[in-house]
Amino acid sequence: MIEITDLHKKLGGHPVLAGVNLRVAEGETLAIMGPSGTGKSVLLKHIVGLMDPDRGDVIVDGISVPSADREGIGEVRSRIAYVFQNSALFDSLTVRGNLFMGLPPGACDGRVPECTAMARTALEQVNLSDDVLELLPAELSGGMQRRVAIARAIIGKRRYILYDEPTTGLDPINATRINELIARVSREVEATSIIVTHDIESAFFLADRVVLLSGGLVQAEGTPDELRETDHPAVREFLDAAPVAGVA
Amino acid sequence: MSVAELLARCGRAVRGAALHAGRAGILFFVTVKALGRPRAWLSESFVQAKRIGVEGLGLVLLMGALSGVVMAQQTSNQLSPGLPVEIVAGGVVAGMLTELGPVLTAIVLAGRMGAGIGAELGTMKVTNQIDALLTLGRDPVIELVVPRVVAGTIILVPLVIMANAMGIFSGYAISTTLLGLTPEQYASGARGYYHHGALIYSLVKAVAFGFTITFTASYVGLRAGGGAAGVGRTATAAVVAIIVWIMVLDVVLAPVYKAVT
Ligand SMILES: Nc1ncnc2c1ncn2[C@@H]1O[C@H](COP(=O)(O)OP(=O)(O)OP(=O)(O)O)[C@@H](O)[C@H]1O
Ligand SMILES: [Mg+2]
Repeated sequence: MIEITDLHKKLGGHPVLAGVNLRVAEGETLAIMGPSGTGKSVLLKHIVGLMDPDRGDVIVDGISVPSADREGIGEVRSRIAYVFQNSALFDSLTVRGNLFMGLPPGACDGRVPECTAMARTALEQVNLSDDVLELLPAELSGGMQRRVAIARAIIGKRRYILYDEPTTGLDPINATRINELIARVSREVEATSIIVTHDIESAFFLADRVVLLSGGLVQAEGTPDELRETDHPAVREFLDAAPVAGVA
Repeated sequence: MSVAELLARCGRAVRGAALHAGRAGILFFVTVKALGRPRAWLSESFVQAKRIGVEGLGLVLLMGALSGVVMAQQTSNQLSPGLPVEIVAGGVVAGMLTELGPVLTAIVLAGRMGAGIGAELGTMKVTNQIDALLTLGRDPVIELVVPRVVAGTIILVPLVIMANAMGIFSGYAISTTLLGLTPEQYASGARGYYHHGALIYSLVKAVAFGFTITFTASYVGLRAGGGAAGVGRTATAAVVAIIVWIMVLDVVLAPVYKAVT
């Protein structure tokens, strides 16, 4: 379980997070929506200890991330996979090398065939053929990079997967594919997922629960159905601004 | 500018320098500590050493050759009548070993491997690859910094030796063709000047400069920010910082050499 309590963070003199409270239960798929620049990525970075809060706490399976020592942070990170907003593949490594990095350090020393088999399975799960194994990230399209990034996140079978805008910048067909992929992966690897997205359609499609983050606070949360029905002004403003959601 | 403003500026500069010193100190400590786990960085160090060596060799040899020619000509120009012409060879050997070999090699490599490492790590920083390493349970210092620092520190020794040899050889070529020395005069002049201390000094400098280039570039690269433009600025900043540090080290090492020999 991930518990975020009263999280405060100022960046560049501006309060970005101003008391965020959030709880993510085991096995749940949570979508975090919100306008650009409200601190969605900043929030995710606090969960894996890439940023330290000014105040408040993040607890992952009982470990407080801000006050954890090196070992504690290592333990937390070994349970969480993070799909970055820009894929963040290692551009000096091939797809195979990138996927190996998704496994625990040293796991592939002297076990290259076993690891390659795992890499093939992960590629299969994201609908990529193993022809790409020896390619460099620069030789892949943006959509393929995103899928390799997801494969790198699932190969280690970590308990939590954080997706930072997995469909932003993709064409509708690829976006739909990625959404279906995330839904399938959540089922297959039984991971707890947090998906940050602007895309209301995909949030409602994927999530058990949706949270609207705005002005540094959680403005509203509920199931997709609850949020569609609500007359909470911040939610209405966000939903009505997007033409697709208007239809939904 | 008022006095108060000037003081405020100085204060900010001192504070900035102190912050950098502190952060670089931490990186230094972590890097040195990581040396105790050679299995984690050894094979990547070979890869980096090979890359740096192959990329830098041609330029280093060219610079060595040119500086040997310059030293021979300048020494010859200073020669007043009556002084033995062998001094030209001594000037070349002394100049190459103590200054030109190590310093010019370091400056060439500041532009090549310093800018390269700064841009490479800077790109990794601004595209979240460093964060990705961290979340995947890897230590960027062990994965990236240590192999480059080890490789650069070691590889500069053979490169400096080759630059020195190239300079002494090109000095020979120009002395015996244009400056009127016989091969025997050059050889005896070179032997007359040469002592092991100078060679050791040359190699100590190589090690110190190799470390300075790679460590500074890594430090600056890991602090990159501001997207692609930021990476460009980072590469430039790395080269400038490296060259300044090399010259400072060069000044500091000179009296040490004098005291020892
Ligand atoms: N390292 C940083 N230093 C300074 N300011 C930062 C830093 N990271 C983020 N910010 C600021 O924090 C705010 C929130 O950034 P964040 O990236 O979390 O937004 P976001 O909600 O993920 O937006 P988007 O949907 O566009 O990705 C922004 O105003 C940004 O400028
Ligand atoms: Mg973001």
